[in-house]
Amino acid sequence: MSSSKPLPNSSSATILPPANKAFVPRDYSHGTELRFSTELPAKLQGRIPEEVFTAVIGNINQLLIAAETGSASVYLESCFACLTGYLAYICMETQYEKCLRSVSRLVEEYNRTVFGPRNLSMIDPSERGLRVIEIVLLRP
Amino acid sequence: MPKRWEVYPGKSQVLFSGRCISAKNLSVFYLTLALIVISSCLFLAFDCRLLAVTLSPSVPVLAAVQFIFVLCCLLRTTFSDPGIIPRGTPDEAAWIESQLEGPQVDRDGNYRPPVRLKDVQISGRVFKLKYCFTCKLWRPPRASHCSTCDNCVDRFDHHCPWVGNCVGRRNYRYFYLFLISLSVYCLYVMVFGIVNLVLLSNMRKDFLMAMKESPTSVLTILVAFFSIWSVVGLGGFHTMLICRETSTNEDIKGSFNQRRHPDLINPFDQGNGLANCCYVLFGPVTPSLLNFREDEIGLGSSISLVTNNGRNGTASAAAASTAVTATPAVRYSNLTRNNNDATSNSVGHVNNSVQVISESLPAQLPGDGNDVIVKNGNGTPADGVISGGTDTVGAQNSNTQSASSVHCIV
Repeated sequence: MSSSKPLPNSSSATILPPANKAFVPRDYSHGTELRFSTELPAKLQGRIPEEVFTAVIGNINQLLIAAETGSASVYLESCFACLTGYLAYICMETQYEKCLRSVSRLVEEYNRTVFGPRNLSMIDPSERGLRVIEIVLLRP
Repeated sequence: MPKRWEVYPGKSQVLFSGRCISAKNLSVFYLTLALIVISSCLFLAFDCRLLAVTLSPSVPVLAAVQFIFVLCCLLRTTFSDPGIIPRGTPDEAAWIESQLEGPQVDRDGNYRPPVRLKDVQISGRVFKLKYCFTCKLWRPPRASHCSTCDNCVDRFDHHCPWVGNCVGRRNYRYFYLFLISLSVYCLYVMVFGIVNLVLLSNMRKDFLMAMKESPTSVLTILVAFFSIWSVVGLGGFHTMLICRETSTNEDIKGSFNQRRHPDLINPFDQGNGLANCCYVLFGPVTPSLLNFREDEIGLGSSISLVTNNGRNGTASAAAASTAVTATPAVRYSNLTRNNNDATSNSVGHVNNSVQVISESLPAQLPGDGNDVIVKNGNGTPADGVISGGTDTVGAQNSNTQSASSVHCIV
């Protein structure tokens, strides 16, 4: 493992972050909206242009924010499910799931076109419980 | 390869091979279930015999419909994922903890634990986010850690022993509808139980005789009467909370108590009670983030093991890329195995999602042959050039098959 426990009597933590991974944290400045920070992590400096990175994360954010927006179709879907005693969810896919599915496809596309050629790989945030976007540096 | 539910580290109980999750101790839930089912059965079997004949057959039918709705809401509340935030991977934990100010020993020799707070400003109000050392994540605003279930739950309301689960973002609407429907149902059973006794006493000309003849009515009336006080009270309390877009946890902590501190505004409040009600009860439903039915692939630690082994340069990189791309394809995505896959099969599934690539993305990436599609607002390709024979991107219909048809955890 790349991490180590802090030494006793040490005045500072000696936990080492993984060398081959960069993490993009959630951005909570707009509330509990599903949004990731567009700041380029230090490990990716020089590996990917900042404007490309910002655009990629921005596009992902757009899809995720749309997932959490209460639109008329979302309300109708929920009302319908309620009227069936929520049994409709057994066979129905919710708008949120459709949005997360489109985010997965977008991440795959970006891995193919943007990150793959730069020896980077973006992990779908759904695989990380929507906590972070993990970007693996495939070659140092 | 184990499934994720088999390696779940919390204290919740996982049932039906990862399809359901509840608290470990369900004894009070069984009591709730027994009270509802037994009273309903007694009411439908005994009281409704006279009521159906004397009043209308719709009385037992309505009772049955309400009973089924109450049960659906209760079972959904109990066995749903309340909004558990999956624990951070070891690599994430190492990254976050390396940034935290470590434990300190000050001049007096007092031990100061590591600082694990950070400030975030939301709509003009400062929120303190806490780092959860158990779950290895920065707790989102409104999330809280349930010590009974040992999970961080999003929009944590409370842990309810009566339903045998935490009440959080995903199952709050089921909990609330359970309360409301149960209030209405208790009232219905009580009223018609009394009506049944009154009708019987009119026929027998003696109220005590009627009670002796139909003791189950007395029992159901008593159960309903005592339940109403608590259920209706709780229902009313939660109605008030919903209209103010606050959770029980926030109400107890006084997070948005503007009477005491006028600057404690609630940035999640949409302005009016009806809008808040609509959003909380009928707003978007987050799917379960636990993905219990998928394979546990050692989430990231395999990669750090591989690349730590500095001896195998390209071999480790190749293995790492395979490990990365071999993510379980089941839930949301169709997998493209490698960049050179020129078959239309994998590309054919890239569909309308590509249209959202914004115009600000450069049409050409420097240094390599792969170009990115830039689309105009109306979906037609702008200046982007497709390379590698993958020319179906723009015109493709959304023809994606879901890789897994199993609709997993509720």
